[in-house]
Amino acid sequence: MGHPQLAAFSRLAKENTPPTRVLAGQNTLIGRNQHEVWHEPIRDELFLPNGIPQSIQVYRGGANGDEAPIRVIQGPKTELVHPLRMTIDPLNKEIIVPDILSVLVFPIDGNGDIAPKRKLNHRAGSAAVDPIHDLLVLVSAGGRTGPSIRIFDRTASGDEQPRAVISGPHTGLESTRQITLNPERGWIIVSQTLQNDEWEPGDYLVGVWSINDKGDVPPRWKIGGPKTTMVRARGVALNPKHKELIVGDMVANAVFTFYFPEIF
Amino acid sequence: MGAKIGASLLLAFAAWMVFSGDVRPPELTAASRAALQTPLGYPQLISIEPLPGMAGAMCEWVPTSASGRLQLIAALQQEQMEARAVATSAAEARPTTLLDREPLRVIRNKYPIYSAVALDFATNEVYLQDENLFGLKVFDRLANTPPTAAFTEPKRVVSGRKTQMDFNCALYIDPKSGDVYSVSNDIVDKIVVFPRNARGDVEPMREFETPHMTFGIGVDEATEELYLTLEHPPAVLVYRKQAEGKEAPIRVLEGPRTGLADPHGIALDTKNNLLFVGNKGQLSFGKGGQFFTPLLPQRPAGASPTEPLQWDQIGTVRRENLIPGSGEFHPPSITVYPLKASGDTAPLRVIQGPKTQLNWPAHIFVDEEHGELFVANDIGNSILVFRATDDGDVAPTRVLKGPRTGLKHPTGLFVDTKNNELWVTDMGTSSAFVFARTASGNTAPLRTIRSAPSDTPHVVIGNPGGVGYDTKREEILVPN
Repeated sequence: MGHPQLAAFSRLAKENTPPTRVLAGQNTLIGRNQHEVWHEPIRDELFLPNGIPQSIQVYRGGANGDEAPIRVIQGPKTELVHPLRMTIDPLNKEIIVPDILSVLVFPIDGNGDIAPKRKLNHRAGSAAVDPIHDLLVLVSAGGRTGPSIRIFDRTASGDEQPRAVISGPHTGLESTRQITLNPERGWIIVSQTLQNDEWEPGDYLVGVWSINDKGDVPPRWKIGGPKTTMVRARGVALNPKHKELIVGDMVANAVFTFYFPEIF
Repeated sequence: MGAKIGASLLLAFAAWMVFSGDVRPPELTAASRAALQTPLGYPQLISIEPLPGMAGAMCEWVPTSASGRLQLIAALQQEQMEARAVATSAAEARPTTLLDREPLRVIRNKYPIYSAVALDFATNEVYLQDENLFGLKVFDRLANTPPTAAFTEPKRVVSGRKTQMDFNCALYIDPKSGDVYSVSNDIVDKIVVFPRNARGDVEPMREFETPHMTFGIGVDEATEELYLTLEHPPAVLVYRKQAEGKEAPIRVLEGPRTGLADPHGIALDTKNNLLFVGNKGQLSFGKGGQFFTPLLPQRPAGASPTEPLQWDQIGTVRRENLIPGSGEFHPPSITVYPLKASGDTAPLRVIQGPKTQLNWPAHIFVDEEHGELFVANDIGNSILVFRATDDGDVAPTRVLKGPRTGLKHPTGLFVDTKNNELWVTDMGTSSAFVFARTASGNTAPLRTIRSAPSDTPHVVIGNPGGVGYDTKREEILVPN
C-alpha cells in the first residue's frame, strides 16, 4: 500500500465520508504492516502491531496526525519476529501477539526491550481472549495442519495443547484472517478469504462458532453471498452497543458494517 | 375436578398470604396447611430429587484462598465444557444459518486514487496508476479538467480481475514499444506487462513473479535490466527486462551495509551510472544478513551465461529467517549506489537528516539532464528537489508545497524534460497535477486531470487488513 495510515471513521461513515482523524507520518512509526488495531477503552489507548520493525506500538486513544506513540515494545528480549496481528486483554492487562514462531504475551503497559511474560509454542495468524471464560483462541490460515481454530486456557504456555480444535472440511475454513470474540455470549467470529472469485453455495467470508464447539463442525452462522458485496474479508470487529459486525475487505478496498443482532 | 379447583384456590391464597408481607401466625398456619405443610418453626425437608449423573470424579471442596477460588472456577468451567461437548459432538448434523444480507453501510472511496504516473511520448499520453479501483487510466497528455466539470473521462482504461492488478503502486512505460509495466504492492506478487493499446479487462501479455511487497520500478534501457525495490526484507532486485514466469533476478542488492530500510522509490541515473533508492526507515535483519542471495539458483556448468535461470525457491523466503527482536527505526533517507551494485554494498552517499524534510518519501525521479533528484514527499505534502550529488543532512534546493499546489499525500511523480514539466499524483485526491519543471513554493499547477468532483472528500483506505472499534468515541478504526 502506497500510503500507510491509521484512520478513524465515525460509526455512521459511508461512501466517501472523510475520516474524523488520521494517524500518519514519520513520527508515528507506522508502516504498511499493521493488520490489526485495538482500542482499550479503560486506558483509552490504541494498540498496533508493526511487522517490519518487529514492534508493538501504543498511542493515545485520540492520537491524530504525525503523533508519536507513547510506548513501543521492541528489542532483542521481546523475541518478536514479524508481528502482523495482536490482541489485548484489558481485564488481565495483557497484550497477546500471535507471531510466526509462537504466541507472545506482554504486560499491557509494557515498554521498551522487555521479555514476554508468557510464551505459547504454537503458530497462529490471529488471536483473541475471552476473559469471562478464561480462554485464548487462535486461528491459523493453513500450514501443515490446515486452517483451524484452537481453543486454549487463557494462561496456556509452553507446549500446552489446546482443549479444543475446530478444523476439517465441514468447517468450510480456507484461509483464516482475523478473529474476534463475543465473550458474553461465547461466540468466536472469524474472517477468511476464499480461493474462488465467484460465490459458490455455502461460501462465506465470516463464520461464527461457539467456544464450546470442537471438531469438524460448521459455523453456527455464515456471512457471505452476493448481497453482502464483499469480495475477500480480512478484518473483523464488533460494535456490541449497536449489534453491528464490521468487516474490512482487502480486495473491495472497503469496510462493511452489517447489522448482526443474532450474536449479541 | 371441584377438589382440584379448591386446592388451587387454597394454594393461591397461601401464596398471597406469604408474599403480601402482612401475615399473622394463625393465618400462616392456614396458609401452610393449604400448602399441605404443617409449620414446625424450623426448616423442614419437603422434597428429595436425585441429581443427574456426572462424568468424572466429584470435585473436592477447596478453601477460599485465591488459588482455591481459581481452581474452583476452573473446575466449574470444565464441567460446563464437558456437558456441552456431549451436545456438540454431533454438530456435524447441526444446521448452519447462511446470512446473505446487505451491509448497513460501506466505507469506501468510489473514485480513483492515483499512486503513480508515467508518460508515453510516442502517443503523447499520460498513464495514471489507480491504486483504489485497481487499474490504469490513460489520458491525453494535455488534458486539463475545467473547474466546473465533474471529471475528465479517460481515453482508455485497463482494469479488471484478468489484469491481475492489485494495489498497483508503480508503472513504467517502455519508450520504444510503449509496453506498460505495472508493479503490485500486495495480493498479487507479480509484474504484469500490457501492450500500449491494451483496453478493458484483459490478461497481461507477459508477467513474472516477484517476492512479496515490491514497490518502485526503474529500467536501464541500454542493458535491458529492470530494477525493483522490495520493502521487506529490504532489497533491490534486478531482473532481465524481458523476464517471464518464475525467472530469477540476475542481481540482488541486500544486506546490513546497504542502508536499505523499507525501500520505496527507485531511480536510475544511467548517465552517471548511479542508483538512487528512497527509504522510509523501518527494517529488521535476517540471519546471515541476506534473504534472497543464498536462494538464487546457480548456473549449471556449461550453461550459456545469458540463459535465464528459474527461481523455484521464491516462496521459501521465509520470515522465520528474521532475527527476533532485531527491528529498528531509522530516519528516512535517499541512498545512492553504483548502478550495478550487488550484494551487501554500502551506499556511496546518503541524504538523511532533519534539513532534508523527508517524511515518508515515496517515488523518486532523477533528472539526468539537469542533475536533480525529485522526491514525492507523502506526509510533507510536498515535492522536494535535491541536487543529484547531494550528501548528508542537506536542505532541498526547491520545495513545491502549499495549498495552491493542491497536493495532498503525493506519492507519484514523473519529470518530463522534453516539455519541461513535472507530473505529480497523490493519494489524497483523484487528480494528477502538472507543474513547470522548476516550480517551487506555493505554486498552482499548470494543468490538472481530475477524476472526481473537485469538492469530493477522499477516503484513503488501502488494503484494510484489520479493523477495530473504539467504543468510547464510536469510531471504526482502519489501518492501511
